Amino acid sequence: MSRTSAFVRQPFFLDSPRGARFAVATQPVGAPIGALLFVPPFAEEMNKSRRTVALAAQTFAELGWVTLQIDLGGSGDSEGDFGEADWDGWQSDLSDGWNWLRERCDGVAILWTLRAGSLLAADWLARNDEQPPLLLWQPVSNGSQHLTQFLRLKAASEMLAATEAKGLTARLRAELGADRIVEVAGYRIAPAIAAGLAAATLRLRDGYRSPVALVEVVGGERTEHSPGIAALAEGLRAARTRVVTEVVQGPSFWQTLEIETPPTLIETSVRTIDQLRR
Amino acid sequence: MNTQKEVLAILDEVLSLRGRAATFGADTPLLGAIPELDSMAVVSVITTLEERFGFAVEDDELDGQTFETVGTLVAFVDRKLQ
Repeated sequence: MSRTSAFVRQPFFLDSPRGARFAVATQPVGAPIGALLFVPPFAEEMNKSRRTVALAAQTFAELGWVTLQIDLGGSGDSEGDFGEADWDGWQSDLSDGWNWLRERCDGVAILWTLRAGSLLAADWLARNDEQPPLLLWQPVSNGSQHLTQFLRLKAASEMLAATEAKGLTARLRAELGADRIVEVAGYRIAPAIAAGLAAATLRLRDGYRSPVALVEVVGGERTEHSPGIAALAEGLRAARTRVVTEVVQGPSFWQTLEIETPPTLIETSVRTIDQLRR
Repeated sequence: MNTQKEVLAILDEVLSLRGRAATFGADTPLLGAIPELDSMAVVSVITTLEERFGFAVEDDELDGQTFETVGTLVAFVDRKLQ
């Protein structure tokens, strides 16, 4: 792939029956060689990762790829309140984004996810007759554990305030189970979102047709995958799917206090999407 | 595996301490002593420990004491790894 330093970033609203969805298309100057639909992570992780994702989309565009980033209903600059968002609506948002890309690019189209975006994508693939290549950044495999990790934010604030935090996430889950909204770290979490997230797992159909790339960011000098990602790769291979794995060193940019970008993540991903294209 | 070294690397990374954690010892106080360690950061540290070491932390295993010092956090991880 040859590289130019030209790209076009176009913010716009994608109309849907569920309300306007804020989207950013990052495009090459000429006709695109392929497309990526970015599926964002959950809640605060989306905000923390915006910069890195935008930088990656820009590099992809310089190499000829068009990327669409879409703020799911109730998140970011899209219409609606986070507390009224629902999982099925997010699935429809993904479909709208996917169709938008397909109408503009007839090359290969890749689903590119970060963290819990992998769960949304897996559910979307189960509901739709598509088997695109996947670029999964730091994928989350288990939605229920991810929800617990998120609800734990509330337990942590109580812990810091030295009040009783034990059993708090269980109590929050019980609230959600009783169809009540809970508030955690400034996010109102609706039962419809919590239920969708908790039920989601990163599973693909056996013999998934296209390659799947797992890119993990690790701290320090490590070069091996963490146990969760290694098990995921093994499971996919056992189900006869072609898997590409990459480890890059750097900060966990979706959660670090300061906004950071692992130095080699984007270059590694460029190499990876080139492999996914074949 | 040296648990303390791994734990310090995770603290340094998640809290963006830029190498400061390398100077920490077992009795270095954490909660209330390190301004970067707010509730968001506590959760990020726990999540990273779960993913890096491959265990799951139950809600009722955590209390303020877990994050009192480097030593109490390392002891918690060691217990989880047994």
